[in-house]
Amino acid sequence: MKTITLLLALTIVLMVPTSELFAKDETGLRFTTISLPSSPLIAFRIIVRAGSINDPKGKEGLNSLTADLIANGGTKDLTYSQVVDKLYPWAASIDVQTDQEITTFIGSIHRDHLDGFYKLFSELLLGPRFDPADFQRVKDLHLNYLQNTLRATNDEELGKQTLNAMIFVNHPYGTTEDGTVQGISAITLDDVKNYYKTTYTQANFWIGLAGGYPDNLQETMKKDFSSLPAGEFKEVPLPPVSPVKGMEVTVVEKPTRAYAVSMGFPISINRKDKDFYPLFLANSYFGEHRTFTGVLMNHLRGERGLNYGDYSYAEKFVGGLGQPPFPRVNTPLRQQFFSIWLRPLQPENTHFAIRNALFELKNLVDKGLSTEDFEITRKFVLNYSKLWAATISRRLGYKMDSEFYGTDYFIDRLDKELRTLTVDDVNAVIRKYLNASNVKIAVVVDEGKGKDFLDAMIANTASPIKYASAVTQNILDEDKLIEVFPLNINKEQSRVVSAKDLFEK
Amino acid sequence: MEDTMFRCLTVLLLVFIPMVFAVALDESGQGKIFPYTINQVTLDNGLKIVSIPFESPGIVAYYTVVRTGSRNEVEPGKSGFAHFFEHMMFRGTEKFPEQKFNDILKSIGADNNAYTSDDQTIYHTVASAEALETIMQLESDRFMNLKYSEDAFKTEAGAILGEYNKNSSNPFQSIEEKIRDAAYTEHTYKHTTMGFLKDIENMPNQYQYSLEFFKRWYRPENCVVVVVGDFNQDKLIELAKKYYGAWEAGSYKLAVPAEPQQQAEIKIDLPWKSKTLPILALAYHVPACSDKDIDFAALNLLSLVTFGETSDLYRKLVVNDQLVEFVEGDMSENRDPGLFYVFTRVKDPKNINVVRDAIYGAFGNAATTKVSEEKLASIKSHVKYQFAMSLDNPDRVADEIAHYISITGDPESINRLYAMYDKVTPDDIMNVAKKYFAPTNRTVLLLTQEEKEVKQ
Repeated sequence: MKTITLLLALTIVLMVPTSELFAKDETGLRFTTISLPSSPLIAFRIIVRAGSINDPKGKEGLNSLTADLIANGGTKDLTYSQVVDKLYPWAASIDVQTDQEITTFIGSIHRDHLDGFYKLFSELLLGPRFDPADFQRVKDLHLNYLQNTLRATNDEELGKQTLNAMIFVNHPYGTTEDGTVQGISAITLDDVKNYYKTTYTQANFWIGLAGGYPDNLQETMKKDFSSLPAGEFKEVPLPPVSPVKGMEVTVVEKPTRAYAVSMGFPISINRKDKDFYPLFLANSYFGEHRTFTGVLMNHLRGERGLNYGDYSYAEKFVGGLGQPPFPRVNTPLRQQFFSIWLRPLQPENTHFAIRNALFELKNLVDKGLSTEDFEITRKFVLNYSKLWAATISRRLGYKMDSEFYGTDYFIDRLDKELRTLTVDDVNAVIRKYLNASNVKIAVVVDEGKGKDFLDAMIANTASPIKYASAVTQNILDEDKLIEVFPLNINKEQSRVVSAKDLFEK
Repeated sequence: MEDTMFRCLTVLLLVFIPMVFAVALDESGQGKIFPYTINQVTLDNGLKIVSIPFESPGIVAYYTVVRTGSRNEVEPGKSGFAHFFEHMMFRGTEKFPEQKFNDILKSIGADNNAYTSDDQTIYHTVASAEALETIMQLESDRFMNLKYSEDAFKTEAGAILGEYNKNSSNPFQSIEEKIRDAAYTEHTYKHTTMGFLKDIENMPNQYQYSLEFFKRWYRPENCVVVVVGDFNQDKLIELAKKYYGAWEAGSYKLAVPAEPQQQAEIKIDLPWKSKTLPILALAYHVPACSDKDIDFAALNLLSLVTFGETSDLYRKLVVNDQLVEFVEGDMSENRDPGLFYVFTRVKDPKNINVVRDAIYGAFGNAATTKVSEEKLASIKSHVKYQFAMSLDNPDRVADEIAHYISITGDPESINRLYAMYDKVTPDDIMNVAKKYFAPTNRTVLLLTQEEKEVKQ
């Protein structure tokens, strides 16, 4: 049951009753707005409340393909090329981000060109051209991505998607956001048109608007988007996520010189839950993304030079590979998972590194944080989190995600919760939700090496490590434990597969 | 696509917008593209402090630009060192050993990192404005007093190899390596910023050289501090004098060999073990980044005229005939003469030659047919709006300025360069198309799946 919460901090232009968490007006459309009259730019985040979980069986990828064809296609009056010609001098772009639960159309424009941009953007959404040639172009891109990029030329993403498929086996979250090879191959333009008709309804549209937009824009949008069928939002029910039994390993073979590792397990909390916040803090201590503040980064890369980076996450985390290293917004999941990402390792060090990460995780569960570490980490997260929503578009995204979860504005809630925490709260939550015994592990290894690798893991063969340099006695002592750290591999649930066979159906 | 390869004018996907009042674009072309005040103060030791007030209450971006990159790696066996050294800069000093350095950054909740490319190494921090003095204390100390053991050095070499490894599944890393190695014979752009793998593998043995590297390049006359955001100018300069005043100037002069003119077309076949669609990459030698010579600006615009999303070639190859997934042209913005790249990924191997010929045809067309005034105006508008809209937070503003400082030494070059774009005429574009794209000036690389790979 949702509690009524106050939306904090920002100027909100609402022409609707505030008694519900979602602002829903009489036409069924939802709006989330941040009005900043002094800003010359306007950000749009138009969410369609459908994602890969809405893909029909046998046509996995339909949601993503439809969305991409809308964002990269034409309108009734203009071809795709003509749309590009119009957007180009404004340096405007319309992007789409498809995820499991939602699909977000992202646009940004200088107010000088708002009228022309809005006209185009709304026409793409309300009357997409669905040109057969554009359909073919976009379909080819999606197929090629799965077959040539994900399977073959992006090992880190391959590791992550393999883990996702493992954690969410027999679950709507279990396919990639873009579907499967057979699913995409089976999709026709008529499928796309039908999906559009049934999914792109007023009930599913959630319009996010931020910046220096004129007062009447929201009214205009209400009027324009009421041309869509009313529809009805039908939440896709999610089954419970399969529990993990022991260490379940999938070894993925492909030609590669370095081995990528992703591991994790489901957790039963997300941003709406009180326990999420101490877990979030614990995770920052353990593996804050792309910083030297985390245990994993310091012990695996800093002290041992094993690889470029080692991080962990208390919820789904997409992107964060550029500068700044912050994740994409609008990738919410009702059912979350904890994960560890070890960036590609030298083959001879991979077994050791997996053990090292789990050794650290076990330490975290058994010993928790010291009071000092807790205080330092809390201070870090309180300050660092203030950098995450530096732009209006991101702030809007965070706000919409908070509404998805049914919670206060996340960054404010994080601040509030952290200030009330004690180290005991954090350590209790670690013990409750984290473990180092029942973990799913995905490893990408070189062709022909998979069986030996898995056999060594199953047999808990010792994996000693050699360093290029002298290391401290402390590390050497730890290594003696790590080299033989036993992993209770669940043989029945472990396998070697070829990358060529993944994401097929 | 992991694109740390080069700095170039591409069509960016814009999702950021300002949280505060940002530039109102001056459509008349009379005003400066960069609308903020740029303060410049040079200390006695040659260190320049560039500071730009920006409306980001409570936030400041602090960048240190070292005008040293992989370009500076002139000695054989030492490629990748500027980048390696960037890593070592996080390994501590006597006053602030590594753990303490990390702990302080952690306590202020800073976003702190660095990157290296051909011409520069950039150290960047974004944090609360209150933390400015702490940041200056840490930064000045490590730039002056960096101290790390040989063991720490050897351990870090593992992380460098790890970085090479994480890029290795992406064919574009290999493509870049091979093209540069072939296209350059003398100049240090011959190797990528990551360096040759054999040099990376030998890095653990280069401790003494790393100390030499620090002495040569980490000197006040070779560095510029850039501060953007919420700060007080007088206080900033006072702190700069306090913390950086004792930094001794150096005297090392670099002689980077000039690249002789390429005499003949170079062709490279690159077989790839993993499944892949064919990738065709072309590279042509072009002038260095310049805010005075029209050719550079014209070439940058040419990359959009001929290969941008609104170009005839793009329309033909991507949208209409659908022979390729994408095609793009990238003009590098380098301190010394760089490369103009064209990349495309072909959907069916049987169309490789057709696509290649279409690209050559597009160059030929650009050399004989003037782009319309209307199209050129659209492209200029795109370039200007793209830039203006990117200035939406202090981090991005600092990064843009840092880039131009590293190339020319002068932050004002950003305004001069964009003024050059305004001046470019259709004739200028035709002239550069004629001048720089002869077959003898090009390197052509074709990456294809190795034959013995089992087909899907």
